[in-house]
Amino acid sequence: MEPLTIGIVGSIALIVLVVLGVRVAFAAALVGILGLVYMRGWPAGIGISGLIPHAETTHYTLSVLPMFILIGYLAFYAGITRGLFDAARKWLARVPGGLAVATIFATAGFAAVSGASTATAAVFARIAIPDMLRFGYDKRLAAACVAAGGTLASLIPPSAILVIYGVIVEESVGRLLVAGFIPGIISAFVYAAAIIIRVKINPELAPPVTERFTLREKVVASQGFWPILFVVGFVMGGIYLGWMTPTESGACAAGVVLLMAIVRRQMGWGDFGKALMETARLTVMIFTIIFALLIFVRFLGFAGIQEAFKGWIVDLPLPRFVILLIILAIYFVLGMFMDAIGMLMLTLPVIFPAIVALGYDPIWFGIIVVKLVEICLLTPPVGLNCYVVNGVRPDIPLDQIFRGVWPFVIADLAVIGLFIAIPEIVTFLPNAMLGN
Amino acid sequence: MNAQASSGPVGETGPLSRFDAIFSRIESFFAFVAALAIFFVMMVGIAEVVLRTMFNYSIFGYLDVIELTMAVFAFLSAAYCQRFGTHIRMDLVVSLLKGRVQHIVECFAIAVALVAVAILIKATTDHFLRSYNLGDSTIDANLVTWPSKMMIPIGLSLLWLRLLLNFVGFLRLIVHPDAARVAVPPPPGGGHGVSDEEHV
Repeated sequence: MEPLTIGIVGSIALIVLVVLGVRVAFAAALVGILGLVYMRGWPAGIGISGLIPHAETTHYTLSVLPMFILIGYLAFYAGITRGLFDAARKWLARVPGGLAVATIFATAGFAAVSGASTATAAVFARIAIPDMLRFGYDKRLAAACVAAGGTLASLIPPSAILVIYGVIVEESVGRLLVAGFIPGIISAFVYAAAIIIRVKINPELAPPVTERFTLREKVVASQGFWPILFVVGFVMGGIYLGWMTPTESGACAAGVVLLMAIVRRQMGWGDFGKALMETARLTVMIFTIIFALLIFVRFLGFAGIQEAFKGWIVDLPLPRFVILLIILAIYFVLGMFMDAIGMLMLTLPVIFPAIVALGYDPIWFGIIVVKLVEICLLTPPVGLNCYVVNGVRPDIPLDQIFRGVWPFVIADLAVIGLFIAIPEIVTFLPNAMLGN
Repeated sequence: MNAQASSGPVGETGPLSRFDAIFSRIESFFAFVAALAIFFVMMVGIAEVVLRTMFNYSIFGYLDVIELTMAVFAFLSAAYCQRFGTHIRMDLVVSLLKGRVQHIVECFAIAVALVAVAILIKATTDHFLRSYNLGDSTIDANLVTWPSKMMIPIGLSLLWLRLLLNFVGFLRLIVHPDAARVAVPPPPGGGHGVSDEEHV
């Protein structure tokens, strides 16, 4: 068989195994190893496969992942989320749909200490939904704004998925993290605007909150923001000044959150242990899929799939903008069925060289594609954030949540349109902070 | 942040359930070691920043130590992760199936994983032994690399044993589709199997 044919057969085999429910890492490793052994013989194939797990997972760049994950868990167990929501609620109570808007900004704040979307959604489903329902908010709106707010964690640094993107496509992780900041903030404001417009049109969705807060109460509640500012300062400042590597800034930020929790006596040994164990569990999941996919990618490289695909894409008789839209549409559809990391890892090794060959900025594409896969956390049939909210609040049926998130999905698509029309929104900050 | 363990219901005392309980303790121990390694990387990172900023001093072999430590948390908790069904997969098709058919497909998926991990154990053990026999060391601080490389076959072997337990668990469910779920990951799909923190 021609190498290219073997590559195509291998890719189809991987898709079949994944569809049958084989965990992505194991399916990719098996197909990758068998492909390498078939093409290079047993000793060389096994040799390459045995080398990759250690060589590819012990890169210093990747050590930032557990740090970012740890910050989120420590912040959760330290009770930072409650303070955040309380502060946002007091400042925004009088805005139309104020509690929902507060939820969006509180999730944006938590996103600054958390790299995981579903974790953010789960946390706020517990904190914000009861408050919104108590004030007579529409269930669909309450659940949907939590599910949508959760997606902000993937853009606002620290973001685990942007680190993973950076590692797969070998782009600067620091640059990607900085690039996610403004798009994340814009997304939060667009979500808030979507809520306010909906509530203005249909005030029954969110009855006005009658509680009034004095300025003093608002200022006191704002203490909830301090830990977040520290973490943002460490992560962004450390990278910007070149004073710390992303891993070091993550380590220091985690240290600050831990210290705050200890000083405020908010975290016992049990909670600390849980935060560490859950970090270990999520970390190993990411590392397993990384090394397994890289075995598969090595096989694809020998088969010449990436080169062939790149050549085919570049030679298509279509404007590059249309090709980009087709690729994004494919991601949108794929994302309806697959987890974000799995989808990025399976597709990027093939798609990314083609994107670069078309002349698109790799950092910009990273933000666009991460934003897109995050939308897919909201869309049926496998919009994970909606499942998570439903898991925490079984009293709000899943179909209601899916119906409630559509305005946010439309807002998100509009935001992506904006980033495509004006790429400088994404590239401005990393270029200004870190040079071209 | 809830997590669902795969262990059988309370009071389940069959041999599979007992093996599952014993093995769960072992894999939790290794996951704890991985968690400590993460904490270690955090502390070393803070120490490096403080020393560099305040005393203009850098920890000798800092990068090498971090990189070699990474193998601990990259592999040792793989089995623990599998116990909770955290490794990513697409469970849309599986969740549409019911009863025995679903268990057969699940069993097949685990069998594929067993084969993949078995070959990986062989490949990474070879890699570790090569490094051990050559006395391979890092370029910067001259630290031996084999202990780090040994973490991989250890972590993968634990994962293989957990997968074997899963396999037996699903075989049991194929024979008795209505029996309690013992030694298998949480069921797929819907709000049932999705726990909060398992995706990024």
